[in-house]
Amino acid sequence: MNQNQALPIPANDPFGKATTGKLGMWLFIIIDGLSFAGLLIAGAALRASAPAWPAAGEILNIPLTAFNTFLLICTSFTMVMALNAIQKGDNAGLKKYLTYTMAGGIVFLGIQVYEYYHFIANGFLLNTSIYSGVFYVTTCFHGLHVLSGVIYIAIILYAASKNRYSADNWDHVEILGLFWHFVDLVWILVFTVIYLI
Amino acid sequence: MDDHKSIYIKNAIWLTILTVLEVGVAFIEISRTGQIVLLFAFAATKMLMVAMIYMHVRYETKVLQKILFIPIPAGILFTIALMYDIPFRWVY
Repeated sequence: MNQNQALPIPANDPFGKATTGKLGMWLFIIIDGLSFAGLLIAGAALRASAPAWPAAGEILNIPLTAFNTFLLICTSFTMVMALNAIQKGDNAGLKKYLTYTMAGGIVFLGIQVYEYYHFIANGFLLNTSIYSGVFYVTTCFHGLHVLSGVIYIAIILYAASKNRYSADNWDHVEILGLFWHFVDLVWILVFTVIYLI
Repeated sequence: MDDHKSIYIKNAIWLTILTVLEVGVAFIEISRTGQIVLLFAFAATKMLMVAMIYMHVRYETKVLQKILFIPIPAGILFTIALMYDIPFRWVY
């Protein structure tokens, strides 16, 4: 949809200039946020009842995951720069920053797989303990979001390569950005609760 | 829309600094309660920075901001309230 062709917005519209697609993504984010909250609270409840719980860094690799957190922050920056570029009509900039974001997401997933590989090789499995169960379920759920985000970026990148977006038409890029930033936002909490506390 | 590149760069730098501080707090010798409070404070600050600056929530209407910020904290509070019986469940 060309954003200049949208119907005039009433002055008292409670959602301002937000499109229906954007509101739909916000609704999804709220629901998904509640799913993550449920997982983290369930993890906290299991932890409260567990006789012992490993200290930060005892089992999990904090420096590696801190780097992964830094990487996700960088991808949030590149994603917002992609939107900034297309809002100025810079399609080449959009493609460049989307590619950086997708590459960052793939590296994030690669590091997570590397981490899982070493844990599994050392016998730290999903059913090893309550701690391992909480760790794998929460981080896998987040990892699936990153994977979905990478696929989503690839689809938008393909559309961008067909010059579908312009300074007047960037709604899809903004909606993609909301999803990707949400994945980053949730990781901040997952990193704190699962890895650091 | 204006070019906000410098704000986005500053935000990324602050997020990185807060992440480093978070990792530091997890390993310093302070009380457990103080550590948890600090870690949650850092995480909440980082999440707000991502939401307000990268997700542009600060440019949304007040109604939409309320819709975004009320349900998740409310959901968490309700869930915790429902879990009130957890400390007693393992007594019997």
